[in-house]
Amino acid sequence: MNYLFLQVLTGLQISALYMLIALGLTLIFGTLGVVNFAHGALFMLGAYFAVVISDAFGFSVALVSVPILLFIVGIILERGLIRFFYERSHTDQILVTFGLAIVIGEVLKTIYGANNLPFAKPSWGSGIVKLHEYLPFLEGFVAYPKWRLILVVVSFSTVAALFLLLQFTRFGLIVRAGMRDSQMLAFLGVNITRRFTIVFGIGAVIAAIAGLFGGPITQVEPELGMKLLIPSFLVVVVGGMGSLPGAVLASLLFGMALSFTAKYAEIQQIIIYLLAVVILLVRPRGLMGKKGLME
Amino acid sequence: MSMSDNKSFFSVKNIHAYYGESYIVQGVSFDVAEGEIVALLGRNGAGKTTTLKTLARALDPKLRSGEIYLGGVALHKMKAHEAAQAGVQLVPEDRRIIPGLTVEENLIIAQVAPNKGWEIDRIYEHFPRLAERRKQDATSMSGGEQQMLAVARALAREVKLLLLDEPYEGLAPIIVHEIEAILQEVKKLGITTIIVEQNAVAALKLADSAIILDTGEVAFRGTAKEVLDNKELREEYLAI
Repeated sequence: MNYLFLQVLTGLQISALYMLIALGLTLIFGTLGVVNFAHGALFMLGAYFAVVISDAFGFSVALVSVPILLFIVGIILERGLIRFFYERSHTDQILVTFGLAIVIGEVLKTIYGANNLPFAKPSWGSGIVKLHEYLPFLEGFVAYPKWRLILVVVSFSTVAALFLLLQFTRFGLIVRAGMRDSQMLAFLGVNITRRFTIVFGIGAVIAAIAGLFGGPITQVEPELGMKLLIPSFLVVVVGGMGSLPGAVLASLLFGMALSFTAKYAEIQQIIIYLLAVVILLVRPRGLMGKKGLME
Repeated sequence: MSMSDNKSFFSVKNIHAYYGESYIVQGVSFDVAEGEIVALLGRNGAGKTTTLKTLARALDPKLRSGEIYLGGVALHKMKAHEAAQAGVQLVPEDRRIIPGLTVEENLIIAQVAPNKGWEIDRIYEHFPRLAERRKQDATSMSGGEQQMLAVARALAREVKLLLLDEPYEGLAPIIVHEIEAILQEVKKLGITTIIVEQNAVAALKLADSAIILDTGEVAFRGTAKEVLDNKELREEYLAI
């Protein structure tokens, strides 16, 4: 029982970070049609901002300012660069965003060096939680790092907030409609590009949240963006390009797979790729992908 | 700037439109009077739908030259969403009801941008079937109901020019009658309309006048009756 519970919890914690990065990726792909390889770099930028601001002014200041900063960075990137690639091929989009990711990585390396920046957790997030005190079905002493639990809570709350925004607001209705048929929205007078710019900003905010809460766990170094981008991109493809529920489902699947193979290192290293191959062979559009899209 | 007298309320001047390098609309010109209903006819591949999409200012086909005026306003300088705000409402081929949205959401989305037409309550009064299904996923409705919604969605906006692309396509004959009845009602509203339809007879029943396109050019412009009475014209261009 204890083993099972802890593996599930660890699985959730691993999924949490993939989920946040994959959500941003798939949100941007679903609306703008852009395969954004710079998304990992945005996450990394979020983590660096978080370390620097947190060291200087404390974590609570970082908590407020990093998402705002990344929102601004996102808007500038979309207006200044990405929008010129909407009509171009996916290959061009991948090249330009991949290039951008390299530039961001190198700039960070120049400023802060190639080594890991220590990210001190705030005092309220340090230590462990004695789970057996809250969950009577656990036997004996069962503890879990507090920060990892916080990451799980934050990431699922972010997912919930995004779903509420999309499902129950006027803005969300427009974005959902735009994801399905942006041309028809234009025929109905809606300037969808303006909304999609904001969506890009929201994607960057989610990356900021991932950086803030994921940074203390992943280490903050200039290769971080790429390290997380590849599995997150796989999450998006397996979930179905442009499908938000698909991204959530696929990240849970990957998280659980990684957690439950932890005892077998050789399998753990390849398990998500193996899963991806099997799923995509059986279902080329991904778990919840739309028919005909990137199939 | 062209004057917008009644006879050239909507004016198309020598438009040329391309899909990539394919030259589809090859210098089409015509005028439509305010309140007039025009059937835009022609064989498959004559450029009817492409013309209609060009008039609605779709990004694709690309309008390379020519001018389009609606009530004196230059549509050819506009993007699709600007043309829609200027009063052009396209009811596209395949209806393009937005999947994943309810009937009501499909109507709400039509009123996000200015200018509003009918209030949603008024739409429900005229289309009680849509009222019954307001909370239903719109694409789960039958083809006829979706066509009804597509027309209603256009009415939810201020319409100065209604562009109907194949409104009867893929519908059973009995449903075609139902949509015909709706369009006859819309006709009473006095909205200037261009209707593209494979079913030329059905379109001509509704229309005051007709334009026949042939390989991207206007081959005939006259009254609906002239087309119905002219056997040669029908055989050459419409195969009816």
